[in-house]
Amino acid sequence: MIGRRLRHFAAIWRLGLAEAVAYRGALFVWILNSSFPLIALALWAGLARAGPIGDYDRPGFVAYFVAAFLVRQLTASWVVWDLERQVVTGELSTLLLRPVHPILHHLMTNLAALPVRALIAAPVAAIVLVLALGDAGLELARGGALALAIPAIIGGFLLNFVVQLTIGCLAFWFTRSSALFELWLALFIALSGYAVPTSLFPGGLAELVRFLPFHAGLGFPVELLLGRLDAAAAARGFLIQWTWLLGLSVTAGLAWRRGARHFSAVGA
Amino acid sequence: MSGPAVRVAGLSKRFRVARRGAGLGAAMRALFRREYVDVQAVRELSFSLAPGERVGFLGPNGAGKTTTLKMLSGLLHPSAGEVEVAGFTPYQRKPEFLRTISLVMGQKRQLSWDLPAVDTFELHRVIYDVDRATYRRRLDDFVGRLDLGEIMVKPVRQLSLGERMKCELVAALLHGPRILFLDEPTLGMDVAMQHAIREFVRGYNEELGATVILTSHDMGDVAALCPRILVIDEGALRFDGSVGELTRRTRPLRRVSVGARELPPPAELRALGREVARDGDRLVMDVAPADVAALVDRLLALPGSHDLEVRDAPLDEVMREVFRRGVADTGTKGQA
Repeated sequence: MIGRRLRHFAAIWRLGLAEAVAYRGALFVWILNSSFPLIALALWAGLARAGPIGDYDRPGFVAYFVAAFLVRQLTASWVVWDLERQVVTGELSTLLLRPVHPILHHLMTNLAALPVRALIAAPVAAIVLVLALGDAGLELARGGALALAIPAIIGGFLLNFVVQLTIGCLAFWFTRSSALFELWLALFIALSGYAVPTSLFPGGLAELVRFLPFHAGLGFPVELLLGRLDAAAAARGFLIQWTWLLGLSVTAGLAWRRGARHFSAVGA
Repeated sequence: MSGPAVRVAGLSKRFRVARRGAGLGAAMRALFRREYVDVQAVRELSFSLAPGERVGFLGPNGAGKTTTLKMLSGLLHPSAGEVEVAGFTPYQRKPEFLRTISLVMGQKRQLSWDLPAVDTFELHRVIYDVDRATYRRRLDDFVGRLDLGEIMVKPVRQLSLGERMKCELVAALLHGPRILFLDEPTLGMDVAMQHAIREFVRGYNEELGATVILTSHDMGDVAALCPRILVIDEGALRFDGSVGELTRRTRPLRRVSVGARELPPPAELRALGREVARDGDRLVMDVAPADVAALVDRLLALPGSHDLEVRDAPLDEVMREVFRRGVADTGTKGQA
């Protein structure tokens, strides 16, 4: 049974990967669209020429934003737009009639694009690092902290996926659920560490921001990747990230169930 | 399958639809107070289909044909009534049920748009748990019948409408569904492509004993494929029987046509039937079954008589008559 399920997932993943390769040009443009951290890098690194800002010096900013750029690529999802289109046009019917749950289909196709994204984004990141730092390069955490960054990035991806899935499910009732996601995205840019490292927020505010799902999705894995968190902070970060993940997964599951019921009541 | 392939009893579907008047004012008012109307898309349908039957759903736009198909395939939850397909309750959409059926919609696609169709075929092979040998055998068979060859290795976006529909059918049938729902499968296709699709569906039905339920605006599809038809109008079943039966009830007159070097004046034949058309050397008449023999004798005696043909009225004319006169006047009736 499990082997059969894994074969199903692998087949969807392969199809998703083939689509990602077919859309490589568009994927490159989407990667450029999410290159805001590289712009932030230029701004903050310029400001830091005069001296460190908070706990970041110039190489620190370069490392932070290159890592933020890469983590953003590895946690990308677009299920909110796909789901909205499928609900509005009725394309969802095709997925509903396959013997694989539509959410798992979306999860696998989103995962499938990540290797292609990484392949395109890695050289961009490498070029930026060389140009900005010369031989110094990106200083990553070593050993255990680096290993912990991997589950944190996986958590970040899943968090982004379930947030988009929850908001995407609103398309069952409202035509343009992605408009609401734009609002989420605005908050994400401000509060995730995408434009400003969270530790540069004023003291109390930084602590508050660390409890929000935005930071849990990006800033936390980036800080972990760079070795900026001690064991206690890392543990707290995981607790916050996976609590959000659990809560939002339950919300997404409920939204899906009610939405799918509504879909089969009002017309597919 | 021991019981019926499809069993429907008192099946109804009601939608609540938002409504507003035209213009900016109405749009602004709708922001604060939306009006809804209840639309009864399907009313108390009852019928039963045996395994292996080919059945056509006929009806005008908005008659409830597609809504019925969607309820049978599990996409829509009925508002009332019972529905059972291959022993399953469709709207529960159990994986075993989904492996038993397939729904092909002429206006929707299941193929990945930018990939060759063969990639979607391979996906279906895995998710429907078809072993490689069966997959290869079915695919080779379908490719031969539909002349797919190069078509299935080109990106789907580059295919013509007909080529795409051929691939959609293959994707839908690779897992060998015992029940096939087809919603307007030949929409927008030329005659040759329509013929190819019909023959393919007929072959699938005859060889696998699969039940086929078809909706189509094209009466040719239905007449060519379906020994049994269900006429649905305003959501209700108006007729259940054969095409011939519907035709004889609705348009009992036979259509007789003949070519001749010299046609008689209309008045000479008036006693035998009604003249429908006279075009050059060709005459078309509608005649009561009892008068067919007399008329045929008379027409064969015409100088240079050739290509005499006697047939029922075409199905599209019959259907126009059914919907124009209303069912009560046509003498048709539903048979649950």
